[in-house]
Amino acid sequence: MIRKATHIADTKKLLGLLPTIVVEVPDRIFIATDNARCNKADIFVKEGERVLLGQTIGMRHAPFFDQPIHATVSGRFVGFEKHYHRSGKMVDFMVLENDHKDEWDPSLTPRSDGEIDKLTRADFVKILQEKASVGLGGSSFPTHVKFDNDKPIHTILINAVECEPYITADHRLMLDRPERVIEGIKLLQKAFSCKEVKICVKSKYGDLRRVYGEYLRRFPDSGISVCPIGNFYPQGWELAMIKSATGIEVPQGKLPSEFGIANFNVSTVEGIYQAIKLNRPVVERYCSVTGDGIAYPSNFLVRVGTPVSYLLEKCGGYIHPEKNKVFILGGPMMGASLPSDDCIVTKTVTSCIVLDEEKTKEEPCIRCGSCVLSCPAHLQPCQIMNAVKAVDKERIKTLNPLKCIECGICTYVCTSKIKVTDYVRRAKVFAKM
Amino acid sequence: MTIVKESAPHLRRNDSLARMFLDVIIALAPVVIFAIVGYGWAAVRNLLIPSAIMIASEYISILIRTPLPNDGNKHGLKEKIKLASSKWTINNLLAPLISGLIMGLIMPAESDPIAFIYIALVVGSLFGIIIGKLVFGGTGHNIFNPAAVGMVFAKLCFGSHYVYTAPFYVSSIPVGGTALSTIVGTSSSGVGVTHFASLGSDYSLLDLFLGNCPGVIGETCKIAILAGLIYLLIRRAIDWRVVLAYLGTFFVLLCVAALSISLSIEGTSFGMIIGYEMLSGGLLFGAVYMLTDPVTMPITSPGRIFYGFVAASITLLIRLFGAYPEGVVFSILLANAIAPFIDYYKWSTQKFTRKKVILLCCLYATMILVITLGVLYSGKAVA
Repeated sequence: MIRKATHIADTKKLLGLLPTIVVEVPDRIFIATDNARCNKADIFVKEGERVLLGQTIGMRHAPFFDQPIHATVSGRFVGFEKHYHRSGKMVDFMVLENDHKDEWDPSLTPRSDGEIDKLTRADFVKILQEKASVGLGGSSFPTHVKFDNDKPIHTILINAVECEPYITADHRLMLDRPERVIEGIKLLQKAFSCKEVKICVKSKYGDLRRVYGEYLRRFPDSGISVCPIGNFYPQGWELAMIKSATGIEVPQGKLPSEFGIANFNVSTVEGIYQAIKLNRPVVERYCSVTGDGIAYPSNFLVRVGTPVSYLLEKCGGYIHPEKNKVFILGGPMMGASLPSDDCIVTKTVTSCIVLDEEKTKEEPCIRCGSCVLSCPAHLQPCQIMNAVKAVDKERIKTLNPLKCIECGICTYVCTSKIKVTDYVRRAKVFAKM
Repeated sequence: MTIVKESAPHLRRNDSLARMFLDVIIALAPVVIFAIVGYGWAAVRNLLIPSAIMIASEYISILIRTPLPNDGNKHGLKEKIKLASSKWTINNLLAPLISGLIMGLIMPAESDPIAFIYIALVVGSLFGIIIGKLVFGGTGHNIFNPAAVGMVFAKLCFGSHYVYTAPFYVSSIPVGGTALSTIVGTSSSGVGVTHFASLGSDYSLLDLFLGNCPGVIGETCKIAILAGLIYLLIRRAIDWRVVLAYLGTFFVLLCVAALSISLSIEGTSFGMIIGYEMLSGGLLFGAVYMLTDPVTMPITSPGRIFYGFVAASITLLIRLFGAYPEGVVFSILLANAIAPFIDYYKWSTQKFTRKKVILLCCLYATMILVITLGVLYSGKAVA
């Protein structure tokens, strides 16, 4: 088929309507010591010491910033264990034994409206860094960096597109906690002294549009509006979203703030609300466990640090035992496939997807051009693949694979079932050399 | 049940190579049916010989390329055949079948003496599949359309013995007629473009449209080809850009040519020239089934528009001023040769840059100039 991929078979119509199940916090909670962006950590507590909910128990170090580690239960710190992290690496996790009291750290008192009114953009940077606020859509990009400039912002975009199939975490958050989302948005308006806010949702989600249309009636002249945009993949890519919502074309490599735009994932906005207003770190998140290898796909509200196997149990476990499974944290297009289900829900795990393995046979490329038509970054994946096969560094560099956002659409559309994205990833390595 | 690791993305579009090949075969069906109804045994023979030869050649190439396990033991030919057969997929059957069907459809029904058509079919399809495709590495690696290579080789070797006949269902069979491409191109060879004055004396436009005229067996019936085109477009088995660029460019340039011909040569009419050129010969067949072979065309959308432009320009130049009647097939081969150049990494982009638009406009202007001057000179030479 010679055709641009406009949308990917959507399987979340029903899942989005399923109610959120608040999962009981398990007896043992696991907190990662390093993650995709931070590779070193200091631990502030000793083995056997009691920790409180929300307490800072360590500090992760990344090349350009530090990120505190927060306890997500109250209980005892008992040591380290190795489990799989969302990034696909085996990582040391701190083990906290839950005492089921959920006792908050007494120093974390909510801020009054008067205090919040006095906060400046610099204060936001400080608080968000303290509360380790990161992009909860999956990128784990430190949120405070987006505040840490003095560029004038004229539009704030709230990314609630969730363009990957299967995931419904943001969808449930939007439906369950509209008041927190709106409060979070108001904080953003204050921080950037900007009136116009657009909540970007897929135009096919009538329920979200109706709910927010109704809810926003309570806030006349707030400047907040719901902006239905395209249903295609990857509409959730920030540059694609900015273009659809505002018409501004931000070139790759430039920051949206240079064009007067700030964009945040909707879960991040809720996290910002918790950090600024409640003075708390993010300790729980929405996570959908789904896929055709799961008995009962469900939406969960889970404590950060819950083992995924615990959630799988709640879903009725695996079905089709005769088929091999692909176990994915994150979306099925960009998420990481793990070699084992021994992994932990961290702050940025939006979903856990179990798919039955489908064996495909790779055929020779017939240059149909579907990958070139579909590429959102206007690259030529097929030509990059040929250049990688020929190990022609000059050609690879000219074809500019570093622009690739690894959305995976080239592999998705390939008529010959070639894993084109893998070749482009290899091209990126060549291009960096 | 085990958990397996694979790289992202984990979803695939419901699509396959076999589906694409099958679509082309289904789209060829109306043309094949019309050919068999119209030409009977001649069509069956034309279709069977190249298909069989091409499929067999593909199998033998796989047999040759399959290495025997190098473990010190002796392995016989039987084992080799077994090993090759396990590598043989449905695609290795469908791809040469398509080439074979197209090859058969662009060959004439008869020859004088009749033995030559058999020799032409065998030699042409062998040359087409081996030199046109297998030596490059098989499916996906060929530069030229194998059917076109085979057809041109056979034409160059045995062309003088070809006899182009009309289908059986034509009431008055003009025995020994020539292919329409021939009528248009060279029936009045040596007198340039003046033959346009005698258009419409033998066949009406409706005859051309229904296939009521002599030609190679597949190209005569335009309705069948249009049905195939619609099917291919609905199934997205071909890129509409190429078809549109090719036929569109041909039409625009033809309008220029027809205008200058009808103004400079007495007895010619603008409408007739356009109608005849658009409906005659292999223009439509080539545009739908041969030019759109994705393997031999550029990969970017702007590249495909340039590709269609190049093919259309060459077709028209050959038809207006050339000595050979097979303008379409030659233009397809020449455009195939240019495709890798269009795809060269230093300038191929998926975006229509301003430079590309300007270049395309310049190329159009040049072609219009060349055609106008060419027609004027050629008309003067006759006068």
